[in-house]
Amino acid sequence: MPYFASRNNVNSEDKMMEMEGLLNLSWSATLVAIIALCFNSTKFKSYIAASTVVVNAILTSLQAVGALNGEVQELIFQANSFWGDIPVRIDGLSAWFILIVNFTSVTGVIYGIGYLKPYENSSQKLSFHWILFVVFHLSMVWVCMLQHTFAFLVAWEVMSLSSMLLVIFDHHKPKTLQAGINYLVQMHISVTFLTVGFIWVYFQTGSFSFDAFQTYFGANSNIWLFLIFFIGFGIKAGFIPLHSWLPHAHPAAPSHVSGVMSGVIVKLGIYGIFRIISFLKADFLILGEIVLTISVLTGVYGILNAAVHRDFKRMLAFCTIENIGIIGIGIGLGLMGMGNGSVVLYYLGFGGALLHVLNHSLFKSLLFYSAGAVYQQVHTRDMNKLGGLIKQMPKTAVLFLIGAMAIGGLPPFNGFVSEFILYNGLLEGLKTSDISQISLLVVTLGGLSIIGGISVLTFTKTFGTIFLGSERKPLAHQPAEVSKSMLWPQYLIVAMMLSVAFLPRFYLNTILNLLDNFVNNRFVAGSSGFAAYAENITNINLYSLLFIAIVAVSWMIRAFVVKGKTREMQPTWGCAYVAPNNRMQYTGKSFSKSLGKIFGFLLVEEKRYSELAAGEIFPETRKYESHYHDFFEYRFISYITHHLVYAANYFKFIQNGRVQSYVWYGIVFMVAIFTLTVLTVLK
Amino acid sequence: MLSLILILIAAVFFTGVIIRVKSMSSGRKGPGILQPVFDVVRLFKKGVVYSETTSFIFQIAPTIYFSSVVMVMLVVPFGQSKGVLSFDGDFIFFAYILALGKFFSIISAMDTGSSFEGMGASREALYSMFAEPAFFILMGSLALLTGHTSFHEMFAALHIGSYISYALAILGTFVLMMVAMIENSRMPIDDPKTHLELTMVHEVMILDNSGFDLGLILTAGYLKFAIYGALVVNLFIGMFPYHYSIPMFFVIQFVLASGVGLIESFMARFRMSHNAQFIFVLTSVSLLIFFGALLILGKFV
Repeated sequence: MPYFASRNNVNSEDKMMEMEGLLNLSWSATLVAIIALCFNSTKFKSYIAASTVVVNAILTSLQAVGALNGEVQELIFQANSFWGDIPVRIDGLSAWFILIVNFTSVTGVIYGIGYLKPYENSSQKLSFHWILFVVFHLSMVWVCMLQHTFAFLVAWEVMSLSSMLLVIFDHHKPKTLQAGINYLVQMHISVTFLTVGFIWVYFQTGSFSFDAFQTYFGANSNIWLFLIFFIGFGIKAGFIPLHSWLPHAHPAAPSHVSGVMSGVIVKLGIYGIFRIISFLKADFLILGEIVLTISVLTGVYGILNAAVHRDFKRMLAFCTIENIGIIGIGIGLGLMGMGNGSVVLYYLGFGGALLHVLNHSLFKSLLFYSAGAVYQQVHTRDMNKLGGLIKQMPKTAVLFLIGAMAIGGLPPFNGFVSEFILYNGLLEGLKTSDISQISLLVVTLGGLSIIGGISVLTFTKTFGTIFLGSERKPLAHQPAEVSKSMLWPQYLIVAMMLSVAFLPRFYLNTILNLLDNFVNNRFVAGSSGFAAYAENITNINLYSLLFIAIVAVSWMIRAFVVKGKTREMQPTWGCAYVAPNNRMQYTGKSFSKSLGKIFGFLLVEEKRYSELAAGEIFPETRKYESHYHDFFEYRFISYITHHLVYAANYFKFIQNGRVQSYVWYGIVFMVAIFTLTVLTVLK
Repeated sequence: MLSLILILIAAVFFTGVIIRVKSMSSGRKGPGILQPVFDVVRLFKKGVVYSETTSFIFQIAPTIYFSSVVMVMLVVPFGQSKGVLSFDGDFIFFAYILALGKFFSIISAMDTGSSFEGMGASREALYSMFAEPAFFILMGSLALLTGHTSFHEMFAALHIGSYISYALAILGTFVLMMVAMIENSRMPIDDPKTHLELTMVHEVMILDNSGFDLGLILTAGYLKFAIYGALVVNLFIGMFPYHYSIPMFFVIQFVLASGVGLIESFMARFRMSHNAQFIFVLTSVSLLIFFGALLILGKFV
């Protein structure tokens, strides 16, 4: 193993044995579970799947925790001569993502037990679903571990395919199927880019191992290859304009799947970008500026769209795009820090990004789970048909509220901690002397603040419309609070979120450790310069606590003063109008209408209605429809695909449905191969 | 600590001064300066009426809104004396805590299920969203100019410049005061004395609040004015000794309050549909400050 000798923490023999043992255990557990899932009664399927995911999560987390403490765990599979050695390595970065994947998958699978209860009579569907879920979880973990380009692509593909099949759980609905196919196609565009990048490196260096990137980036220009990987991984992560699969796939999938997809699968795109960054050798500054610019635009675009949509799962999907933008801002800052040689910026940028990866996986899965709880009860995703659910589903409402505040970056929750780090990074970046960088950073500062502002608007709208007021339309079934197995995973996530919010020191130290070994010892000595900053950031929990104390004191004073005073319940003041009804409440649509109007150039609104005719004195009942389109999808992507389909029409004669011609194609092909070989055109 | 006391004193008089100036300029005698305080005390003594539609959100929201304003009051410094809390990046904390308070006041308006209150909530969310970048770019420019990131250090370092920095301070005053107007829903953005619910922003959101809760909301409004006033004062006083700076504090607060009163007496509210654009213009003023900062630092070649 010549190229491992340079690493600091070469594993001893028994360490490798231990890792091999754990991985084998996880494989065999998975195989046993898959067989068991096929033959078990429907009742136990979900429990078997859940225990398998938990077992796999524990087995892989055991190794990841070791890696977070700085010992790189690695294992080398000796494969055949073409594949070469396949290194399976868990370093700090992999470990961080593996732990996030494991946590979200475990909460997802437990939540799924309750969520899929209504489907207990469709046994085959459930076996298929749970087998896929187990495979999906394992493939995500393996994506983080494999450091061999081919093996990585295989794991990546297994992940994409299994998640695609999970998305189309409701495959009898054409919309769901359409979303699944859209996802499938876009994921393969992503794979194409990745493959091109990997093959490029292979031809330059002759090795399939990830370590070959070091050699490549040492010898060649860094920009183009990085951009190819940024596009490839960016499609998975959802940077604009490559995001258009997200708003289709997430609403279509069952909620525990969308929670896991939005929580972690998009983060594996971020993982890939981080992985490539760890090999970069030059051109940090320009790449940082590119990433930063794209990220700000992604953030603003994502949240603007989230603000106007009425389908609450679609809204959450757009909000994921926004958060990917925020993470990207951190990555851009970190790259700029590397370019400027600023240690503090390096830690703030990458540290903020990594912490936000964790935070977003927490509150986004929480939001998807609580939104899924609402969907399970009311069977609609249109928030404008709902209202007043806080009375029937108080626990779900509070969980959603916590998620909404955290995702808006409001203190005292965890989102604020990572956003605070990023803001500090932006301000720290202002210390450079380059005017173009300063301008970019100040614009980013404004952009990040406007993202925060719109997310307050988005989530007050969503929470207010779904849970507050009174119901806008009578529902077929009276909604009720969901089962415990759906609530407990959410409590677990909230506990985790609070731990990030109030013990940021622990998480920050872990990340700093990770970042010390992230890029090869360029900055390793420098983390001491960051100590003052870390101190300041970790104190933020004290201020949050103080705020909570102030709220508590005010509440007690209020309780004391109000005690014994009269307290009446009356109808809402209708501003002297005496016959209000529930349909007259402000809807989500009207709440964000003015925003939609101002940003009309980006938020494409399509209305369908018929005007009153000139002589129409007594108008009939009529319909008015309005919905928003995704700007990039509507204006560019469908334009391109439309033309592609048009061009493809000319080749329709090939697929004519006649078996005779298909046989004929085969014969032509074989004869062609034969003659070409005989004539030695082909060798 | 000093800033806290001064803000509290200013908050007692600020709204009273506005009302007094308004009544004097319309030829009336007007209520006493302390009338707003008496109003609040009276509200504190009253019982409450809750809407049947509301949930617990409606009851906790005013407390959280009030606490958020108290919390941000703690980070505002006064010249050379720090606020009760002072740390790097405290202005981010300032903005986000205020946003938290706003979050709750918006959802509490939605909680009543009234179409009017929903409308006010939507406007409040939209306007404060547009005000955000102006504030952040202003603060970012000050951070760039001074090389510090906490309120106290930024303001303390600010006066050691040329005259341009005072020009910037005046632009900064404009931005901060406008942000204060938006936060408090005062004249160019919103008319607190309008009697049509359709044209209200903030007033319509609190239609259903009563008693102690309404008192808290009003008090928070008074405090917010004084807090923004204190920020404006900080732009000018720098490291002046206390026997200049404390009188200056009250003079500037008084000028601001009477300015607000005069604007409200002689100006009409902007058209609701143009408000958003107007608020966005603030961001460009902030950008102007940013360019000024670059100019002072000699970054333009």
